[in-house]
Amino acid sequence: MAEAGAKAGLWLRRAEGFAYWSVIAPVAACLPGRLAYRAATLRGDLNHWLWPHKRSEIVRDLRQVLGDEVSQEEAERLARDLFRYRSCEIMDLMRARGSARSLRKLVEIQGIEHLEAALAGGKGAILCTGHFGSHQNGFSVLNASGYPVTTIGRWDWKYDTTVSPAERRFWTLAFSRRVVRHRRRPHLEPWPGRFQVAVQAAAALRENEFVTICSDAGPLAADQPRSLELPFLGQKARMLPGVVSIAKLTGAPVLMVFIHRSADYRHQTLEISPPVSMQGDTETAFERVVAAIDAAIQRNPASWNLWFENDVLARLGLVPATPPAETADELQQSTR
Amino acid sequence: MEAVINDYISRELVQDASLLPLENTTQLLETGILDSLSLLRLVIFVQEQFGIVVDDLDLVPEHFASVDDICSYLRSVSGGKAGQASARG
Repeated sequence: MAEAGAKAGLWLRRAEGFAYWSVIAPVAACLPGRLAYRAATLRGDLNHWLWPHKRSEIVRDLRQVLGDEVSQEEAERLARDLFRYRSCEIMDLMRARGSARSLRKLVEIQGIEHLEAALAGGKGAILCTGHFGSHQNGFSVLNASGYPVTTIGRWDWKYDTTVSPAERRFWTLAFSRRVVRHRRRPHLEPWPGRFQVAVQAAAALRENEFVTICSDAGPLAADQPRSLELPFLGQKARMLPGVVSIAKLTGAPVLMVFIHRSADYRHQTLEISPPVSMQGDTETAFERVVAAIDAAIQRNPASWNLWFENDVLARLGLVPATPPAETADELQQSTR
Repeated sequence: MEAVINDYISRELVQDASLLPLENTTQLLETGILDSLSLLRLVIFVQEQFGIVVDDLDLVPEHFASVDDICSYLRSVSGGKAGQASARG
């Protein structure tokens, strides 16, 4: 009986997700911002209600990682905001159509002088962030504003063998196509055996362009030997210092970039930092990068998308290895 | 050229001492000697040492599988230039 209920819930979520991605969000994105983002938060609340397993997993992980400073009530509020933010990020993506004008007018960029200084330096810059807020769309805004951006990052659904070709096609059309439209070069996707990524990133930097990277991705098993264990969110986490390695080899500055959503859910601020010091060894320099990501998450925990990805939290070493989800499909869905 | 490349990889990129001395036919990708970042270091070295810029489109496993393959590739893109630079040391 419980299994049947879980299955029905799963199919309901899938139908709702398909409808939101393919019809509701694209249509609502054409409305004035206030209405579009109101629709997005309502959808977030619906998703929050339809997905009790994920909701309780997020609350548990929030309390486990952030400790007693986050009460049960606060964790539940953060979980609800996470669902709302995710829906708003899809709305951002839809509003990034064309020249991204309807998204750009809702995003204030702070620290643009640091991008200009990097361009003047002639070695491009690495724009480093975490899986934080609407980061993909924030970079789209930068690219649409005349700062050529290329992204290092992989979309797991492209490599997940349990995802059907039809689903892959759907995510390509609904999601990745809309992102890569606002990138100078094709995505540079790190994956075991794909050894050309760092050289391609260096080539973009050599052309005085910007390369973006999320440094909080949990290392894959094959990458564990290269990972470093560093203080993160009050614990020790394993992360890959690729951003520092590329910066040291190319001489490109590393700027931290975080996008924060305001209380009205529609306006956002994209904050660009001055260059992070790369002085010292790789671990010392990477600690500064990780500390900046840590500070952004502590400032706004609900903006960290990885609370949704229990398996990534486990790879980082922040929570115990992934417990079984309701179904295999549930695991797949957790990546979206 | 083989000696220069082999020496650089042996000194800077080989983490596992059991792989030394490095043969020019040793499979660099299969043994994990070359990964994304170590390839970037090698490409920068090649650029500085031989003045050869490696094109994005040339970043295929066949060109970097072994020291011999790397040298064949570099010779193919540079003609005699790389060999001369190597001879100058």
